[in-house]
Amino acid sequence: MPEQLAFTHFLNHYFGGLATALLHMVGIQPSHPSAPITNPVAMEILVVLLLLLFFVLVRLKMSVEKPGGLQHLVEAAEEFVAEQAHGVMGHGYERYIPYAITLLYFILLGNLLGLVPGFESPTANPAVPLGCAVLTFVYYHFHGIRVQRHRYIKQFLGPLWGLSWLMLPIEVVSHFARILSLTVRLYANMFAGDMVTLAFFSLVPVLVPVLFLGLHLFVSLVQTFIFVMLTLVYLGMAVSEEH
Amino acid sequence: MKKITFLLLIAAAVLLAASPVYAQTPGGAPGGNWAIPIGVGLGMGLAAGLAGLGQGKVAGSVAEALARNPGARAGIQLALFIGLAFIESLVLFTFVLLFLRTS
Repeated sequence: MPEQLAFTHFLNHYFGGLATALLHMVGIQPSHPSAPITNPVAMEILVVLLLLLFFVLVRLKMSVEKPGGLQHLVEAAEEFVAEQAHGVMGHGYERYIPYAITLLYFILLGNLLGLVPGFESPTANPAVPLGCAVLTFVYYHFHGIRVQRHRYIKQFLGPLWGLSWLMLPIEVVSHFARILSLTVRLYANMFAGDMVTLAFFSLVPVLVPVLFLGLHLFVSLVQTFIFVMLTLVYLGMAVSEEH
Repeated sequence: MKKITFLLLIAAAVLLAASPVYAQTPGGAPGGNWAIPIGVGLGMGLAAGLAGLGQGKVAGSVAEALARNPGARAGIQLALFIGLAFIESLVLFTFVLLFLRTS
């Protein structure tokens, strides 16, 4: 029986049997049949539920005449991302804003959840950032092909036709390295933040770890920003016409 | 006076709670590979120090650019964050590798 957070325990108590049945259907044997839902998955579900609640609240209270606090917050986030996307991608950025903002909310809430006692960051587990990174990879290639059709292959061939046999493998590897770097950057930052707090907590258990929690808060914000920005940069490179 | 009492109480709390840390055997399990801590220290120190040099150059250039042209703040900050993230991710690769190889 692995160590379970309160929310994981709750999920396993009510949905554990269902999850085990689902896993058996796709042919996976969970390592602990009594507790098939692990902590990161439970935290991810919690993040999704919180975000759903947040969006429903915002939608219910939305008004043009009297915008409330929540609406201001959401609008500020939207404007910020839109401004950055405009700077990176130029015209035609509006289409990609919903994806970028969804990513922003999910990663931000995932990062910040680790600061609350009794919860942990889902992003401090490599699988969750990997999911986000693979999604981003598929998304920007899809839009690259959608916009450029067969010309999209030219981006992989480099400027000189004679050197394309050399450039193609290099470009393919560098595109797959983006998945690795996005994943490891987010995961390692969150994980290292937790480890540093823990290490200083074991040295000085009063007051000092709070400093590192503050640092972790800052790192959470910056890493969310970086992940979304890099997504936009990759999208901009994929859909840009000249190359 | 109150302040000194407060500080003394904090010191007492620290000493009481931190004693298990000092009671651990140093260097982990006896008979373990003694080269691992040295390698981890050297690797992480090299990575962090060299990344510090690189990020210092970046921060210096950003300060210079902002002093020359404060109007271009948005673009400079974007380049700053993305550049720092790429440099930093190399250290984090090292960290993850060390963590995977030692645990």
